[in-house]
Amino acid sequence: MSAHENLIKVTDAEERIVHWLLAGSCLFCLITGLGFMFHSWSFIATLFGGYYAMKWMHIFSGIVFMASLVYSYFMWKKDCEFEPSDLQWVLKGGGYLWEVKDLPPVYKYNAGQKAFFWILVACGAVIVISGLIMWNPVFYPVIAARFAYMLHAGAVVVLGSFIVVHIYLGTAGNPGTVTAMFTGQVTRAWCETHCPRWLAERDNYKPGQEKETA
Amino acid sequence: MAEYIKLVDVTKCTGCRGCQVACKQWNELPAEKTGFTGSLQNPKDLSYNTWCLIRFDEVEKKDKLNWLMRHDACMHCETPACVKACPSPGALFKTPEGAVVHDTNYCIGCKSCIVACPFDIPRNNPAIEKMAKCSLCYDRITDGKKPACVTACPTGCLSFGSKDAMLMAAEKRAEQIKGFIYPNNPKYETHLMYIMPGTVEITDFSHTNPNPKMPATILWWKNLFKPLTLIGIGGVAGAAFLHYIIKGPHRVHEKKEEGGE
Repeated sequence: MSAHENLIKVTDAEERIVHWLLAGSCLFCLITGLGFMFHSWSFIATLFGGYYAMKWMHIFSGIVFMASLVYSYFMWKKDCEFEPSDLQWVLKGGGYLWEVKDLPPVYKYNAGQKAFFWILVACGAVIVISGLIMWNPVFYPVIAARFAYMLHAGAVVVLGSFIVVHIYLGTAGNPGTVTAMFTGQVTRAWCETHCPRWLAERDNYKPGQEKETA
Repeated sequence: MAEYIKLVDVTKCTGCRGCQVACKQWNELPAEKTGFTGSLQNPKDLSYNTWCLIRFDEVEKKDKLNWLMRHDACMHCETPACVKACPSPGALFKTPEGAVVHDTNYCIGCKSCIVACPFDIPRNNPAIEKMAKCSLCYDRITDGKKPACVTACPTGCLSFGSKDAMLMAAEKRAEQIKGFIYPNNPKYETHLMYIMPGTVEITDFSHTNPNPKMPATILWWKNLFKPLTLIGIGGVAGAAFLHYIIKGPHRVHEKKEEGGE
């Protein structure tokens, strides 16, 4: 059938692997972190074999998070550079939460996705650096260690909230999107809606010049 | 349950270190191999094996030498920052007697208590990566006995009793010797209190905190960001759900070749 022709590859395997390493380690750290934060949720620690075991799982998962965060920064920073039309997109409301006409055509990622990326990088960096300090806090000046604990929790407030937005908009909020992170493919109609400029460039692509970026 | 206070009358201390030895004996802590450091200070600092310590300071005031000896140990705060920071339930807790007690079985070695403490008391045992500190001899005081250090003190420098009695005794003694009580902050109560000689100031004593309080970073962490984590995640999740049921998902724009389904 024509369904297969209409599928367009928007992410490569490298992106999907890094995304899920980042997402998996992040969510695991979030859940175990909540287990440390809320003593009434001790069932989380019970699930992971007690607080001592959970401490090391949190640290190891944090290392995976750190590595995949650094990797994804270099992998996606170019895609997520802001451009002038992003401002127009934001001023018009983006079309995510309600229907908007005459949106400036988006290239690969829209301004909201780009903003999420930079929030992730900023909060992730704070969480990783403070987390490394918390690994052995007595090695550092006491004021630095105390700030690390505070900033670790503060950055989680921001990142945790935005992750929920990210999950909603990537799944139920935008039907047809989630396959981009599983099979890597979305429909042509999806591309026309969400990344029309990128799709147009892809359609005009002349084979034999450069390697395909899609 | 009665609330207790351990009172340290610094003016009565002779530096005999009987409290140090008694603490080691009762808590079965091994002696430390130490060397001469140029002063009477020995061991140099608190450690996971040394829960109380006489600190020696020599301070010159008005051409007069003050030879200070201070029994240093956990202050057993009314609102302990270490307990607030501790992520492992049961590892650090405050008892109705006022003691702040650690339980090695539940300690996961994260060391956040060491960072949080405004008096720099908890110490890490690197061999087992667990913290240790004075427990106000919780096992003795709940059995009607005094802490080991108090029992051993030969000069009456250390005394132990109910909170009210000790507070009264402290005020009376401080007035008598024209000294001062430390910590002297009604907003920051501790279950270890000092009567200091009036000839010196609190800053003349090493390893003291002139203005003890719960570190602000701990308050931001536990009183603001902790609830905000749930409010943030829960609020956004609720908003997303409302959006889904009110506005509905954002579907791809209808186009001629929209196939399938």
